[in-house]
Amino acid sequence: MNQLILQQGASKELVHFPHILEFAHKKNNTIQLNSFSSNVTDCICLYYILEGKFTWIIDLQEHTLYPGDFAMVLPGQRIGGQSSILNIGALFWIKIATEDSGKLLLGKWSGLTKKEKISVNQILLVNKEQHVLKLKEAHLLLHNLQAELQNEEVGFYTRANQLLDELFILISRQLIRQNNSRRDFPQTFLKLEQTLRQNLAHQWTVEEMATLIGMGTTAFTEKVKNYSGFSPLNYLINIRIAEATKLLKRNEANVTDIALNTGFYSSQHFSTTFKKLTGYTPTEFRKNKTPDQ
Amino acid sequence: MNCIIIIEMGTAAVKVFAFDLSGNLISSSKGHYPTFHEQTDHSEQDPEQMFITMLYILKNLLIEKIYPKKYTVSCICFGSSMHSLLAVDKDGIPLGNAITWADNRGKKEAAELKASALGEEIYKATGTPIHPMSSLIKIAWMKNNDPAKFGLAKKFMPIKSYIIQQLTGSCVIDYSIASAMGLMNIHNLTWDQAALDFAGITPEELPALHPVFYSGVALKKEYQRVLKLLPTVKILIGSSDGCLATLGAGVWDNGMATITIEDSGAFRIIGDKIIEDSKQQIFNYLLTEKHIITGGPTSNGGVIFNWFTKQFGDFPKAFDIDESMEMLIQEAEGVEVGSGGLIFLPFLHGERAPIWNPNARGCYFGVNIRHERKHFIRATIEGILYEMYSIGRTLEKHRDIKGLSINGNFASIPFCTQIIADIFNKPVSTLSHGDSIGRGAFLLSATEMGIYPSLEEASKTVTMHQTYYPKAENHEIYAQYFKVFESLITKVADEFDIISDLQQRYS
Repeated sequence: MNQLILQQGASKELVHFPHILEFAHKKNNTIQLNSFSSNVTDCICLYYILEGKFTWIIDLQEHTLYPGDFAMVLPGQRIGGQSSILNIGALFWIKIATEDSGKLLLGKWSGLTKKEKISVNQILLVNKEQHVLKLKEAHLLLHNLQAELQNEEVGFYTRANQLLDELFILISRQLIRQNNSRRDFPQTFLKLEQTLRQNLAHQWTVEEMATLIGMGTTAFTEKVKNYSGFSPLNYLINIRIAEATKLLKRNEANVTDIALNTGFYSSQHFSTTFKKLTGYTPTEFRKNKTPDQ
Repeated sequence: MNCIIIIEMGTAAVKVFAFDLSGNLISSSKGHYPTFHEQTDHSEQDPEQMFITMLYILKNLLIEKIYPKKYTVSCICFGSSMHSLLAVDKDGIPLGNAITWADNRGKKEAAELKASALGEEIYKATGTPIHPMSSLIKIAWMKNNDPAKFGLAKKFMPIKSYIIQQLTGSCVIDYSIASAMGLMNIHNLTWDQAALDFAGITPEELPALHPVFYSGVALKKEYQRVLKLLPTVKILIGSSDGCLATLGAGVWDNGMATITIEDSGAFRIIGDKIIEDSKQQIFNYLLTEKHIITGGPTSNGGVIFNWFTKQFGDFPKAFDIDESMEMLIQEAEGVEVGSGGLIFLPFLHGERAPIWNPNARGCYFGVNIRHERKHFIRATIEGILYEMYSIGRTLEKHRDIKGLSINGNFASIPFCTQIIADIFNKPVSTLSHGDSIGRGAFLLSATEMGIYPSLEEASKTVTMHQTYYPKAENHEIYAQYFKVFESLITKVADEFDIISDLQQRYS
């Protein structure tokens, strides 16, 4: 079987692909000390197991991976073999550079639309604790990617990047499938709400929300309306005002900070929205917070 | 034209109803809020989110549906689910989330109190069974387990009092909600000293007690303005979901009882006397000082069928659980009465009445090689309804019940309604109007406004839609299986504790 380790800077195959830092198809026959010591990564590392059994520590958690398993490690996360060794077996791995100091996971190389890139970004980040997936489809994909990199046939640049895009789409869809049973809407909606609350300052769009739970925008909007009584954006405004109310009562942050932290464009936007619903401007509300009796 | 607005703070959502003065529903709307389970046994809701959701829904209903039809709001009346608890600091600011009725964190406090003579005394005085659901146990838990928060807390109140306080500035509570806190003496209508001592609080730390007809509070100007309401709009503090559903169920007649099954459920009767139960199996909550709602709640209603559907149903359309449930029910209809001898104990959430055991667990019994999925579907439904029957039988020791009215989305499924009739061997009627809590709150408001001379007269306006009659041959089969159901529960009582302990330890 063909073993292959390509490295950026050393392998001519990667000259056209500055974003691919490493591509490997490795068969490991011996156990060597420090063959896989623990490291915090600064790129996206993806692993696919072909043969054997690998025990790794990813972000302090022990995972045992078998053939068909796929592991994903994002910038800032730590990975290494148990006792710093790489077990016997065969695997693919690929390391991909990110842009905008790690904030943009899929760089300029990707052919996804801007919206799709944001969605994939969002999905990977929200599920970043989930390192291991079952992803048998990745096998053929990585095999083909290897062929494109090695053979450099006509169109190889486009094909290789398309395969990478396909891989990220596959990962995103699998993450959504594994996390949402597609049976339990209340549970799925609660998880979505928690994701929204964790980053309330972000200007969430309906597309992003729908994508996070793997639904189309139209079906999602209808389902949310039916379940919650609100359109997705109104439900979000509801959470924003409730959260802002709490912060106003606590009397710590100033009104502008509260506005921006809870996702309003400006203190003016916050003030108008807040007054329209409660009859108070945020400042009046803060003065008035003490109940009368 | 005048109208009455009902605001019902339910477990999963706020519902707002608008009725004209003749009791016709003009419009209604609902807004969902989430329940958070940060730890096993914990069940909490965000009071600010509940308030904002309520305000949002109320405002939109008024402006989009009510004002365009030229209605003027003359009265706003409140209902809410029971047993919730919120602690607020000296400035009235919530100390964390509100704890819901479904929260079981006070299991230990409840078990200890229940085993004591003091527990019996408090049960008799307050009418609330000693159980983690009650506000009494929740406060005691906080005193023992979160002393920092307990120390900062200036007032303890149910979510409904908090909502009314935000709108009016007054901290008040009605007899219905208060009597479900486990802290109110239902005989003399004051906070009960023994219960207060156990919780470690004083009456000043609770809202002011008032009858359900109390309307001595007024909307703050800002809310009058933003909701475009007149300063004269009457704010009626109202009652609890359980009491209102009973009022709205048309069962004032002595021989009638009502069954509600939504996610959870209850069997209730109404009367002019508190019913003492030496086994502490039933509750007595006050609609008014003269009208007592007596009954028993189950934690395992439609939520259990929901669980079954999620685990074992087919989902041809993603997230469409209603369709999946319909398909399962269709399958169950083809199974013989009694599910071919498959019996289900539905205690996935522990159980309240009549066994009051948070450690109770579910069980399928009698499985044989010929049983298919369809038998499990039917057994699950029958198990939920056997449990309702066992609550009903507890009440029947005190009252002769000739007929039932049912409400709630699970009990109202025709297949379930017929099984209820067969198991109970009594005629079961469905109500002409949809939501009996909303209806009950309308009847309460209309009585206060003088439209009806009394609650009794108001309740008589409730009409039945359809009556399901029991089939004697089915009842005979159910009666035999029910005996097994009942004795199973007693026989595995020790194992409930053991398995629940193991589950807590290893999962």
